[in-house]
Amino acid sequence: MSRFVISDLSVNRAELPVVSKVSLVAESGAISVLLGANGAGKTTLLEGLSGIIPVAGGRIELDGREIHKARPGLRSREGLAHVEQGRTVFRQLTTEENLKVGLSREAEMAQAYDLFPELVQRRAVRAGLLSGGEQQMLVIARALLTRPKVLLIDEMSAGLAPVIVTRLMNAVRRLADEGLAILLVEQFAALALSIGDRAYVMRRGRIVHDGECKALARTPDELHRLYLGTEAA
Amino acid sequence: MDALLTSAVAGLTAGGTYALLGVCAVFTYRLVSVVNFTGAAIGTAGTFALIALTEAGYPTWPSVLAGILVGTFVGVAIGTIMTRWFAESSASTKAAVTVALLVGLIAVGLRLTGGQHPHVMPELFPGSAFRLAGVEVTIASVLTIGLAVLFTVLSDLFLNRTRVGLHLRALSDRPMAAELLGVKVQLLSLLVWGLTGAFTTFALMIIAPQRSPNFMTLSLLVVPALAAALVGLFRSFWLTLAGGILLGVIEGMASTVDSISQYRSAIPFLVVLAVLLWSQREARWDDAR
Ligand SMILES: Nc1ncnc2c1ncn2[C@@H]1O[C@H](COP(=O)(O)OP(=O)(O)O)[C@@H](O)[C@H]1O
Ligand SMILES: [Mg+2]
Repeated sequence: MSRFVISDLSVNRAELPVVSKVSLVAESGAISVLLGANGAGKTTLLEGLSGIIPVAGGRIELDGREIHKARPGLRSREGLAHVEQGRTVFRQLTTEENLKVGLSREAEMAQAYDLFPELVQRRAVRAGLLSGGEQQMLVIARALLTRPKVLLIDEMSAGLAPVIVTRLMNAVRRLADEGLAILLVEQFAALALSIGDRAYVMRRGRIVHDGECKALARTPDELHRLYLGTEAA
Repeated sequence: MDALLTSAVAGLTAGGTYALLGVCAVFTYRLVSVVNFTGAAIGTAGTFALIALTEAGYPTWPSVLAGILVGTFVGVAIGTIMTRWFAESSASTKAAVTVALLVGLIAVGLRLTGGQHPHVMPELFPGSAFRLAGVEVTIASVLTIGLAVLFTVLSDLFLNRTRVGLHLRALSDRPMAAELLGVKVQLLSLLVWGLTGAFTTFALMIIAPQRSPNFMTLSLLVVPALAAALVGLFRSFWLTLAGGILLGVIEGMASTVDSISQYRSAIPFLVVLAVLLWSQREARWDDAR
């Protein structure tokens, strides 16, 4: 069992506070969904968590170990995986090579192809030539092969067809059921709330709601109000 | 005609060196995204370590080894500066930083080596390897070209067949994504700087006896090297290799024609200009489509 605990975390961008005193939790077997309008600070928070941007204050603990001072590579070796916004495949590498980059000793390529069989026939194709959906599958599978305890996923459904989004959501649910702790960032709420457990809503860098996904899914008006005037699908 | 052939063949040693330095420049650019103006200066530092040691009476080959180690070390030092403080900078900023470092290295180098003070550079590989159409081909030229080909073939194999090579390609594609997957980005970058430092040093040791071994002239061999890299558009190892050799041969031939021999150091610039114009033409053609 793993516990990923974020306490009073602040992250700045260009000296300006973008994320302020955020506290949240992700646990083995569960999906914590983080919602919020465009520009709320979700990506900045995740980049602070994985070490792309240094944090300005607060703590990040993974199974009781503080990791917020470590470089991104070290946090990865501690068991944190970050699937960045924008499908960051290695474009010049093939699908198979992409998967091999972070392949841990304890993991096997089969795990990736088992989660997304679609990738098997694309294994020798350069990742830059894959479709958006395939690229998204690839970056999730690639992160999985580092054998993480915690998986951070940023806006995986952006720009994808609904049928593919459903496919991805089901795969993420399966990973949680297999024991991963997942922090799922989404701008469009409905599907994420339907597979998630705990829901957080972020606005202007702060957490403005912390509760059950089920409850929030039942009260779209409340969600609307939390987003404050911006649309939520 | 005979004189022209002789001088063309004489240009092969320089050509091999330009090729190797050029291939190292492409290697550095492709893997750590730096157009490195200090390439030749790094090798020069190692070469002068060799000169200092032999002048102090140490035997040649251990001194060669020590010199290569010094070149490797200077390469890693420059690499540390680039990866620690300029990893996130734009390509042009990074290139400008290496130009500044080059000026610094030359200043320090000239000071430590006594400026224009003449040095004796031991000829590591004297003599000729074979005769080509009646012209002697020196061992030095065969060696530099061989080394350049070896470096090209090895980097190809290394990048495409090994796990470290895969990590290097991932790093060159998307450094942050690679780091997030636990790739030891800084260590690998320093490996690139160290490897190119070692190869460059050896190449300069071979060519140094033919030039006035002065810290500045050797460091400025980076100009033909980058011209060669440009022929390969900073991507293709093989085109860079060919470009470097060709540059040396043209330079060699130019030295026999009295009316142009004094301008022969301008040849790399002409090549740079020609490549740039040619690639621009292609871009414009793309735009027009
Ligand atoms: N590179 C950057 N430099 C400065 N400010 C940025 C940068 N990227 C994002 N921001 C600002 O930080 C805020 C949060 O952005 P982001 O974390 O991307 O939000 P979200 O992922 O929730 O859409 C926005 O106001 C945005 O303008
Ligand atoms: Mg975002």
